[in-house]
Amino acid sequence: MAILLLLSVSALTFGAMNVLGDPLFNILGPLAGDVNNPKSAALIEEVKVKYDLDKPLPVRYVKWLGDFVTGDMGVQFSTDGQPPVSGLIKERIPRTITLLIMAQLLAVMISIPWAAITAARAGKRSDKISTMNSFFLLAMPNFALAILLKYIFSLKLGWFPLTYKAIDPYFERLRQIFLAAVTIALPAAAVYQRLLRTDLITTLQQDFILMARAKGLSRSRVIFRHAIRPSMFSFITVVGLNTGGLIGGSIVVETVFRIPGIGSSLVESVLREDFPVVLAIVMLIALAFVIINVLVDILYSIIDPRVRR
Amino acid sequence: MNDSDPRTTTPLLEVSDLKTYFRTERGTVKAVDGVSFSLQRGQSLGIVGESGSGKTVLSRSIMGLLGRTNLFREGSIKFNGQELMGLSVKEMRSIWGQEMSMIFQDPMTSLNPVMKIGRQIAEPLMLHLGMNKSEARLTAEKLLTDVRIPEPQRRLNQYPHELSGGMRQRVMIAIALACGPTLLFADEPTTALDVTVQAEILQLINEQRVDRNMSLILVTHNIGVVAGNTDVIAVMYGGKIVEKAPTKTLFSSYKMPYTEALMRSIPKLRQASHTRLATIPGRPPDMVNPPLGCNFAPRCAYARPKCLVEEPELTVTENPEHVYACFYPVGSPEYHERKLELSQRSDLLSTGGQN
Repeated sequence: MAILLLLSVSALTFGAMNVLGDPLFNILGPLAGDVNNPKSAALIEEVKVKYDLDKPLPVRYVKWLGDFVTGDMGVQFSTDGQPPVSGLIKERIPRTITLLIMAQLLAVMISIPWAAITAARAGKRSDKISTMNSFFLLAMPNFALAILLKYIFSLKLGWFPLTYKAIDPYFERLRQIFLAAVTIALPAAAVYQRLLRTDLITTLQQDFILMARAKGLSRSRVIFRHAIRPSMFSFITVVGLNTGGLIGGSIVVETVFRIPGIGSSLVESVLREDFPVVLAIVMLIALAFVIINVLVDILYSIIDPRVRR
Repeated sequence: MNDSDPRTTTPLLEVSDLKTYFRTERGTVKAVDGVSFSLQRGQSLGIVGESGSGKTVLSRSIMGLLGRTNLFREGSIKFNGQELMGLSVKEMRSIWGQEMSMIFQDPMTSLNPVMKIGRQIAEPLMLHLGMNKSEARLTAEKLLTDVRIPEPQRRLNQYPHELSGGMRQRVMIAIALACGPTLLFADEPTTALDVTVQAEILQLINEQRVDRNMSLILVTHNIGVVAGNTDVIAVMYGGKIVEKAPTKTLFSSYKMPYTEALMRSIPKLRQASHTRLATIPGRPPDMVNPPLGCNFAPRCAYARPKCLVEEPELTVTENPEHVYACFYPVGSPEYHERKLELSQRSDLLSTGGQN
């Protein structure tokens, strides 16, 4: 299933890039149209051979696929091939992965207690205020939130550095990424909280919760020991599915916080129509998506023994 | 059954004029409307009534397990001499599970589906008795043996869905018994189970009650269930106790026409198969707007004009343990008069049907 999905994503992207655009133009620019000039014609021939553009599309796709699975993602069009795409990805991907993991962890860590508190007080004033807050976070575009956070915590309070420096030590860079992670995490946490709160309210009406209360357990024990786990299904499903959305969100956030990650590479390469880079990034996002959702499936069976076979 | 004289010892539980109302959009639902009774240590009380008679609310109200929003509760609940009415949830928690516990109706939904049996039993042990994990586990294993679950050690590591309904109800009983409560509530403990398992579970509850000298409040809609398992039976209707008597007395000389109707609706073995089951016509009263007079009057075959306008008080019979609320009880001249009329009418109807 997962492999079929990855194959179709790659074929579709590969096809679209080569049919909707002409790689020759992207490499040579206006020269590519100048076929009558013998000088540029020679250049065109040279480039065609170099980038395998003289071969039919399926052949190129199979060759690209073979290279991709062995870790060779081709060469960048825009920089005359240096560094190779895999080099660029290798340099940038750890930043985005760190950013996204940090953001997801923050979102989960914020949303679970938030949902627990609001579910326990469903319908009361604190719950209504929290609902307003979560709608505010959801309605706020992430670039606006990014700018707001940057203004308050970096510029005014100076708690976090303004820019990302790739040469700084690891923990310093984590601090530099933190605000960006918060920007992604807050709206995500709002979504997760809404979802978990609703499911928790449903679970709290179940018979086994009354049974747990009748044992004399405290309210927080009832919620955290008995109610949270059976309420986690849609929560983890959405956390998994949302990873794709967060990668999308990271494009804007990486740009605002000037973090040279995958997101900003994607923007740059799309603008330059640098197909091998776009293709590689799209493939990596699809791959991440597949892996995370396999993990979510495994999590289901950990959470609910009834799913286990 | 109970050898201690109920008049000389202080009762374990004394409920007086307990009212439990819910505020809803339709108005105030008077789910429990002035219930009083007392229960000795080791004694068992059966509360019988139709769905909606307030019996489940009564048991939860005594235990204090109802949600606090839109709830109105009044009266007195003395447990071991301590007044429970007005205690906070926090104060009640030390009583729940330790002094009082409850076996719920549906063993399919009342156990946490994602928690191992062993942990669910160990939880109150660790909380109330301060046991550590291994002590609690050993005790849990012993409890499972007590409720006659085979291979208790293996069961500890199983999840509820791996057990049958009867087994799960045994696990629930084990959890309820865990900390040695003095008062056990059983709210329709056998309704969700197969008939063959029902008797076993009832027997188990009763044995454990005797062994541990617990008091039991057994709530059920099935008067047959309480027959062999309780010392005293209280019949509830429309949020009130309408008749209360020692079990034998109730079965031999019930006074309320409602009790009579309940007795009639027990299917009997000597009846030919396909005999139409006796039912009580009509529906339980609307507890937002209960009838002016006797709650049962609108459905009662023996009701007279007085019943519709005036509410009967609980009256004591020659047996001080036997009380009922009815103006024209079973055995009264008016009752016999009406019974005669009714039998003549049904004779007419049945001959009419044959022609």
